Amino acid sequence: MNFIKVYKSFILSTTKHARMPLAIAAFLIAFLCYPQLLKAEDIKKVKVNAHFGNATVESALQQLQSRCGYVFTYNAELLPKKKTITASFNNQPLSEVLDFVLKNTGLSYTEKNKYILILPVPSKSADKVQNKITGTVKDTTGAPLPNVTVFIKGKSGVTTTNKDGWFSIPANAGDQLVFTMVGFLRKEITVGNQTVIDLLLSEVKSSLGEVVVVGYGSQKRTSLTGAVSSVSAELINALPVPNVAQALQGRVAGLNVINNGGPGAAPIIQIRGISSINGSSSPFYVIDGVPAGNLANFDNADIQNVEVLKDASAAAIYGSRATNGVILITTRKGTNSKLKIELNSFTGIEETHKRVDLLNTSQYLLYERALNGNAGIGLPPRLQPASFNLPIYTGATQTFAETNTDWQDAYFKSGLLTRQNISLSGGNEFSKFYSSAGYFKQDGVVQGLGYQRGNFRINSEHRISKGVTFGENLYLVYSRQRSEGSTGTRSKLVNVVRSLPYLPVYDPTTNGGYRGAENSVDGSDPTNPLEDAVLLGDNNNNTSRLFGSAYLNFQFTSWLSFRSTFGLDHSEVTIHGFSPVYDDKGRSASVATISDQKNNNDTFLYTQQLNLNKTIGLHHINFTAVYETQDGKSSNVVSSGNQATNLIQTFAGATNINLVSAKERSFLVSYVGRLNYELADKYLLSAAIRRDGYSAWAPGHKFATFPSASIGWRINEENFMKHIQAISELKLRAGFGITGLASVGNYAWQALVNENASTYPFNNTLTVGNATYYNQLGNKELEWEKTKQLNIGIDLGLLRNKFTLSAEYYKRQTNNLILQVPTPMSFGLNKVGVFANVGSMYNSGFDFQLGYHEHGGKFKYDITGIISTVRNKVLALNSNNAILDAGADANFGSGFAITRTQAGQPIQSFYGFVTDGIFQSQEQVNQSPVQVIGKTAPGDIKFKDLNNDGVINSDDRTFLGSNLPKFNYSLNFSASYRNFDSSIFLQGVHGNKIYNAARVIEEGMTRLYNAGTAVLNAWTPTNTNTDIPRAISGDPNQNSRTSDRWLESGSFLRFKNLTLGYNIPKSSLSTFLHGSITNLRVYVASQNLLTITSYKGWDPEIGYSNGSLTSGVDYGQYPSARSFSIGLQVGL
Amino acid sequence: MYFKKITLCLGLLTGLLFSCKKLDQLNPSYPTVETYYQTSAQLVGGTNSIYVSFHAGFLVGREWFYLNDLRSDEFAAGGGQLEVVRAQLLNGSALPSNTQMSTVWNGLYILIHRANSIISNAAKVQDNPALRDRCVAEAKCLRGWAYYNLVTLWGGVPIRLSPVDNIADYLPRSSTDKVYAQIIADLTEAATVLPASYTGADLGRVTKGAAQAILGKVYIQKGDYALAKAEFEKLSTSGLYALTDNYSDNFDEEHEFNRESVMEAIYFDKGDRKYDASFTGDGAATAQTTLRNQEYNPLSWRNLIPSDKYLNEFENTATGSAKTDPRLAASVYLTGDKYDSGNTAITDADQNGSASIINGKTIKAGWRKYNLIYKQAKAVATKTYYGGINQRVIRYGDIILLLAECENELGNTVSAVRYLNQIRSRPSVSMPVYPTANFPVNNKSDIIKALVHERMVELGAEEVRNFDLLRWRKKGYFSTDPLPYFRVNRDELLPIPQDEIANNPSIGAGDVVAQNPGY
Repeated sequence: MNFIKVYKSFILSTTKHARMPLAIAAFLIAFLCYPQLLKAEDIKKVKVNAHFGNATVESALQQLQSRCGYVFTYNAELLPKKKTITASFNNQPLSEVLDFVLKNTGLSYTEKNKYILILPVPSKSADKVQNKITGTVKDTTGAPLPNVTVFIKGKSGVTTTNKDGWFSIPANAGDQLVFTMVGFLRKEITVGNQTVIDLLLSEVKSSLGEVVVVGYGSQKRTSLTGAVSSVSAELINALPVPNVAQALQGRVAGLNVINNGGPGAAPIIQIRGISSINGSSSPFYVIDGVPAGNLANFDNADIQNVEVLKDASAAAIYGSRATNGVILITTRKGTNSKLKIELNSFTGIEETHKRVDLLNTSQYLLYERALNGNAGIGLPPRLQPASFNLPIYTGATQTFAETNTDWQDAYFKSGLLTRQNISLSGGNEFSKFYSSAGYFKQDGVVQGLGYQRGNFRINSEHRISKGVTFGENLYLVYSRQRSEGSTGTRSKLVNVVRSLPYLPVYDPTTNGGYRGAENSVDGSDPTNPLEDAVLLGDNNNNTSRLFGSAYLNFQFTSWLSFRSTFGLDHSEVTIHGFSPVYDDKGRSASVATISDQKNNNDTFLYTQQLNLNKTIGLHHINFTAVYETQDGKSSNVVSSGNQATNLIQTFAGATNINLVSAKERSFLVSYVGRLNYELADKYLLSAAIRRDGYSAWAPGHKFATFPSASIGWRINEENFMKHIQAISELKLRAGFGITGLASVGNYAWQALVNENASTYPFNNTLTVGNATYYNQLGNKELEWEKTKQLNIGIDLGLLRNKFTLSAEYYKRQTNNLILQVPTPMSFGLNKVGVFANVGSMYNSGFDFQLGYHEHGGKFKYDITGIISTVRNKVLALNSNNAILDAGADANFGSGFAITRTQAGQPIQSFYGFVTDGIFQSQEQVNQSPVQVIGKTAPGDIKFKDLNNDGVINSDDRTFLGSNLPKFNYSLNFSASYRNFDSSIFLQGVHGNKIYNAARVIEEGMTRLYNAGTAVLNAWTPTNTNTDIPRAISGDPNQNSRTSDRWLESGSFLRFKNLTLGYNIPKSSLSTFLHGSITNLRVYVASQNLLTITSYKGWDPEIGYSNGSLTSGVDYGQYPSARSFSIGLQVGL
Repeated sequence: MYFKKITLCLGLLTGLLFSCKKLDQLNPSYPTVETYYQTSAQLVGGTNSIYVSFHAGFLVGREWFYLNDLRSDEFAAGGGQLEVVRAQLLNGSALPSNTQMSTVWNGLYILIHRANSIISNAAKVQDNPALRDRCVAEAKCLRGWAYYNLVTLWGGVPIRLSPVDNIADYLPRSSTDKVYAQIIADLTEAATVLPASYTGADLGRVTKGAAQAILGKVYIQKGDYALAKAEFEKLSTSGLYALTDNYSDNFDEEHEFNRESVMEAIYFDKGDRKYDASFTGDGAATAQTTLRNQEYNPLSWRNLIPSDKYLNEFENTATGSAKTDPRLAASVYLTGDKYDSGNTAITDADQNGSASIINGKTIKAGWRKYNLIYKQAKAVATKTYYGGINQRVIRYGDIILLLAECENELGNTVSAVRYLNQIRSRPSVSMPVYPTANFPVNNKSDIIKALVHERMVELGAEEVRNFDLLRWRKKGYFSTDPLPYFRVNRDELLPIPQDEIANNPSIGAGDVVAQNPGY
C-alpha cells in the first residue's frame, strides 16, 4: 500500500522530465522490482537477490539496477575495471549489497528520488573553489531535466539538477564538468571564465534500456525474442510525406512500401512479401491498442513511435489477423511538466520528375500515313488539307495544322504540399495531456486531384485514486479527397499518350469548354484526359472519422494489474460525384448524372486484460491474459440520378433515381494468453496462444487457435562473454508460430441472391429492379488461412552499441490459402469463383539492419543500412495444373494475359511470348514457324516457337520474370555538426521486372492514336536496323501481344530524401526572443530528388491498378512526385 | 479495498462474455439461395433476369450480334478501329483465347444458369401454379434459344439442366445430337405452355410463336425440313403474324412489337448516354441501351460496314435489273443519302475509315438498319450514342423465307416460290416477282440461288447469315465457300474457349473431345 504511493511518485517524478519511452522503461523497471518496497527513502529495507560470478563492478551495478526500482547513475570511468566480485545475496538489503560491491573502490552512494548516485568519496583535501558555476540542463525538446548528475572529472565535486533542471557546482577554470543521466548522452564541458553553463542533453538511441511496445503490453528491447522493428517519431517526421506508410518506406527491413495513386491514396504495404492471393497483404494496424483497419487520414505528427511486428512469435498475439504482420502505432502522451507548445510546419511544391517522348503534330502526320497507309486505310477526313487548315473552332485563328498540344504539359502540374501541426502538452501528478491540431494539403501533380485534411487529437490520463487511472485517446479528422475514380485500365495517362497533338485541350465553343476527338473525322477516339479529370472527374470523397479509446487501469499490487479498454472507430464517408451536361464534339451527355454514396463504419472494441509481472530470484515472469471482442458494423448507400441541367447537383426533381443500400456486420471474440519468462536475464522464453471466434465462417468453423513460441539467448550476459568489452550485445533468438488471415468478406460462405438487382424494360417501360439473380456458390468449409512461420535472428552490438547489426532469416508457409477457384464459364456464374481453402504458398528471406552511431564529439552521425530479400513460391493451387491468369486486356497485349500464377513459380509471374528479332524478308517468314497464318510480313516480330510444333500459339508462352525484387535496400545517413544537421536517405529495389503496359500504348501501333516517338523508327524496307516492328493498323501479326518486348528492369535507386537543417543557437534565441522560444529549427528538404533507373516509363515505383495479380504492370499510374519543401520546428 | 476493484473487473468481464450469439451473422442485405424462389413473385423476378442476360452486352446488346456478323460475309471492317479480337474473327484467325467469342459462350451459359434456377426451383412454388408454369416455359424457351446458339456455333457442348451447387460439378461436352434433343424437348414443352401473346406489362416475354420459331430453326439447321416446316406453319397459320407494309418498320424505334416481330430484345434509352458497361446487364440502374447503335454507326465508330459482296447483291438498275431493290436504301447509307429525317446528307468526310465499291464505283457505305441517325440531327448523330431500338431477334419475314427453303428442300417448288414472292411483294419493296431475268425458278437449284439472294437482301445484318452459311455449306449450296479464309474441318465451328478448357477438368471426358478440330 505504501508501495503504491511510492511507486506512483516514482513514475510521476520520472515522467516529469523524461519522454515516454523512458517512462515506460521506468515503469517496467518498477515492475521488475522484487520484493515490496516499504519506503523508497530507505534502501536498507529494499531487499534483493543477486548473484555475481566474477562480475565487474559495472556489471554488478547493472544487475542490481535490473532487480530493483532504482535507476543507478554513475561515471563509468570512475569504476574500477579490474576488480571482480563473486558473491550471492538472497533477500539482502540493497544497501548491504551496494556496500559490498563498492567496497575499496573509493566510491560511495546516495539515494535520491529513486535514483542511486554512485559518487567518489569526497576528498578531504578538496581544491580551493574559486567560482560557482550555475546553469540549466534541458532535453532536446527544451524541457528541463531534473536529476542530472553533474560532477567534476577527477575531482570530488558532485551535484544533481533540481526539478527545473538547475544546478550549482563549485568549479575552477579548466575543470571538466561532466553531465550524465540514464537514457541521455553524456556531455563534458570545460569550464572557462563563464559562470553560467546552459546545455542540452540528447537522448541515447538504441540504449539497452529501450522499451518497445508489443501487442497488449511492452517489453524491454533486450528481452525480445521475436522480430520487432521500431521506428521513432523523429524518423517518421523526418520526411515531408502525407502518411505513415510513406514515412515507413525504407525504414524497416522486410517492410516494403509502394506508392500507389494520387493524393490521399493509400500506398501498398507488405511485410515480408505476399502472404495471400485472394486477400490483401496489408498488415494489421493497431493504434494505441485499437485495431484501425487502415492508416488513412492519420497525422504523422502525433506519432510517438511505430513498432513493426514481423514474425509469428511477435505478431501471433493478434492471432487470426496476424499473417501479414502487425504495425503498432503509439501516439504521443502528456508528461508531468509545464506546458509545452510545439509547432511543426512544412510547405513545399511537388512535380513529376519525368516525361516520355510523344509525337508532335508533324510527326503524327508521318506516323498516321505509315500506320494507316500500310493497312490500306485512307487519310482520316480531318487530316485532309482542306480540313486540316481550318480553324480549330469557329472564331479561332489557329488551324489544326498550327496546333501542337503537349498533353503531358497540360495534364501534369506542380502542386502545393503543406502540413501544419501544433501541439500542446503537459501535466501534473494527477492529470497529463497531449493535444494537437493539424492541417495537411496536397494538390498532387496531375490535374483534377487533390487532398486535404484537418485533424484534432487529445490524449489524456488521470489518476483517480490509488492505483486507479483513467485515460483516453481521441482523434478526430475530416478529409476531402478528389480522387481519380475508377477508370479501369484506360487511365488518364493512357489518354494523355493517345490524345491527338493537333487538337486543342480547350474549346470555348463547346458546352463544357473542352475539345474531344471525333472518331468519324479524326479516325481516332482518345478521350480528353483533362476533361475526364476536371470536368467529368468531379468525385469528392469526404471522410470524417472519430477514432479513440478509453481505459481504466487498476494496479492491485506491484505485480498484478487489470486494464479494461473500450475502443471506437467510427467513420463516415460521403462521395459526391457530378458529371455535367456537356458536349466536346466527340463525346457528350444530354443529362447530368449525380452520384451520391455514403458509407458508415463502426467498430467497437472491448478489451479486458490481466497482467502479472513478477521476479522470483533469477526468474522473471510476465503473464498476460486477454478477453476481447470486436464488433464491426457497416452500412452503405449508393444512389444515382439525372438532372436535365447543370444547375442542380442534388436529387431534387431528378430523374432515373436509383438507390441501393447494404449493411454488414462482423463479430470477433478472442481469448489470449501470453507468458514471457526470463532466467537470469540470459535465457528468454515467450509463448502465446490466441483463440479467435469469427462470425464470417459457417457454423462449425467459427473458432481456431493460433499458438506461437520463441526463445532467446543473451550471450553477452554469459560470464565467458562478459570480459569481451567490445561486445555490448549479442543475442540469438528463434521463434515459431501460426498466424491467420481472413481473406474473404463477411459472408463468403453464403450463396446470396441479388434480389431485384437488375432491370428488364418489359413493354418498353422502365421498371427498375424487376429482376433477381444469383451467380455464386457458397462454401461452408471456409476457414482462416493459416500460416506457419519460423524466424531466426541475431542481434549484435559492438562498442557500447556504437555498431549494431540485426540479421534475421524467416520462412513462412500457408497451406490452406483461400483461392477463388475459377468456375468454368459453363457453370453460368459469370466465371465468379468459389472461395475455398485450397492453395499453398511459401515465402522466405533475410532481413538485415546495420547501423553505426557516432554520438560523441561535435560531429555526430548515424548510418543505418537495410537490406531485405523475399523469395516467393506458389506451392499448390486448386488442382495440379491450375493457373490463375490475370491482366488480359485487348489494349495492353492483344488480349493475352500478362501474369500467370502457377504452382512452382512466384505469385503472378509475368507470362508471355519470347521475341526473336524482326523478320527482314519474306523468305525468313516462310522458313520460320507460322506466326499468324497469312498475316505475317517482313517487319513483323518473330516470336519463338518454344514447343517446336511449327506454329506460334498460346502454348508458346513462358514465364518471363517476376515483379518481386531480388532485394530491397535503403541507406540512411544523418549527421549533425554544431547547429547544423542533415540527412540523406537512399532507397532502392533491385532485380524486379515491370510490364510497361503504358509503352504498349506508346509503341504498340495497334490502331491510330497518338504515340511515342519510338514509332518513327518503325521497320520499313529502308529502315531495317531497328527493334520497332513495321507500323500497320490492326497489328495483324499481333506484334503488340504480351511478350518480353514490354518487360523492363524495375530496379531503381532513389534519393528519397535530402534534408538540411539549422538549429538557431540558444544564445540568439535568448537574445532576440528573451527565451520565450526554447528551440527553433529550420530545414529544407527534397523528396525523390533523383531516381537512378533504366525504366522507360514515368516512374518505376509501380503498384497495382487493375485488381489483384497485376502488381508491377504499369498502366500509366500516378507517378511518385519530386518535392522541395521548407520546414520550421518551434518549441515554446 | 481491492475486493471492490476485483468485483468491478469481474463485472466488466462477465458483462461481455455472453456474446457468442453474435457469431451467427447472416447477410442482412441479401437472401440466400436456399431461402429464395419460394413464391411466384420471386420466380417472376428470377425469370426476368433471364431476359436481362438475353439483352445484355455480352449477348444481343453487343457481343452476340458481333459474333454472328463477324462470321458472315455481309460485313467488312470499317477500318483500323475494329478491335483486334473482332478482326481476328472477321479474318478467320481467331484462337481459343479469343475473348469476343468466349464472351458469348459465357453469356449464353449465364442465361442457361438463370433459366435452370427457375426450372429447378419451381416445384417449391405453389401460390400461383399458372404463373409458375409460364415462368418455367419462358425459362425453357430461352434456354432452348441459348443451347441452339451454342450447338450451332460450337457443336457439342456441356448440357447443364440444373444450377450448379458444388464446385466439383463439372460437365463434359455432349454430342450435338444430345444437345439438339434437349433443345427440342425444352422448346416443345415451352410451346405448349407459353401464351400466344402478351399485353401490357408483360409485352416482350417469349411467346408460343417464339418457341415454335426457334424450334423450326433448330429442325431446319438439323436438316429436318418436314418438322421445320410444321413448326413454321404454326406461325403462318396462327393469324398473329404478318409482314409489315413498310420494310423499315422492322428496324426503327417507332414500330417495335409490330406484327412481324416474333422475338424481340428490348432496349430502353434513359437519356443518360450510358451503356451496359459490365456487359452482364446486371445492376438495377444499369443502362438499358444497346451498343449496336454506336458500334455500326456510320457517323461514329463505324467498326463494321457492309461488305462489297452484300452491297452488290442487291438488284440494281445500274447492273441491268428492272428495279433497284428499295431494301438497299433501307439497309445502308451511302454517301449522299439523307439521314436526320431526310434533312441531312451523309458525306465522305463524316465517315471515318474504309470505302466500299458498288457496281464498280467507290463510295463510303455504313449500316442503316437499327441505327438511330435516321431521325437524329448531325450534332447528335455524330456523338457517342447508345440507342434504345429493340432488336427483332426473330421476325416473321425470316420465317417466310425459311418456309420457302423447307418447301424447296421437300420438293414443293411452287410453294417455295410463292413464299419468296410474298417477301418481294411487301408494299414498300414491290420487287418484280420470281422468276426474273437473273433468277429463273425452274427447279430446285434455281430456287436455291433465288433463296440465297433473297435472304441476303432481306435479312442482311440481322444475324441470320452465319446460321444460313452453316446450314447451306453442309447441303453443298456453294461451289466456292463464301468465306475467303474458310478451311474445311476447322472453320465450321468456333474453338471451345481456352478459359472453359482450363477451368473445366471434365470438358473432354464425354462424347466429344475437349477441343474442336483445327484449333
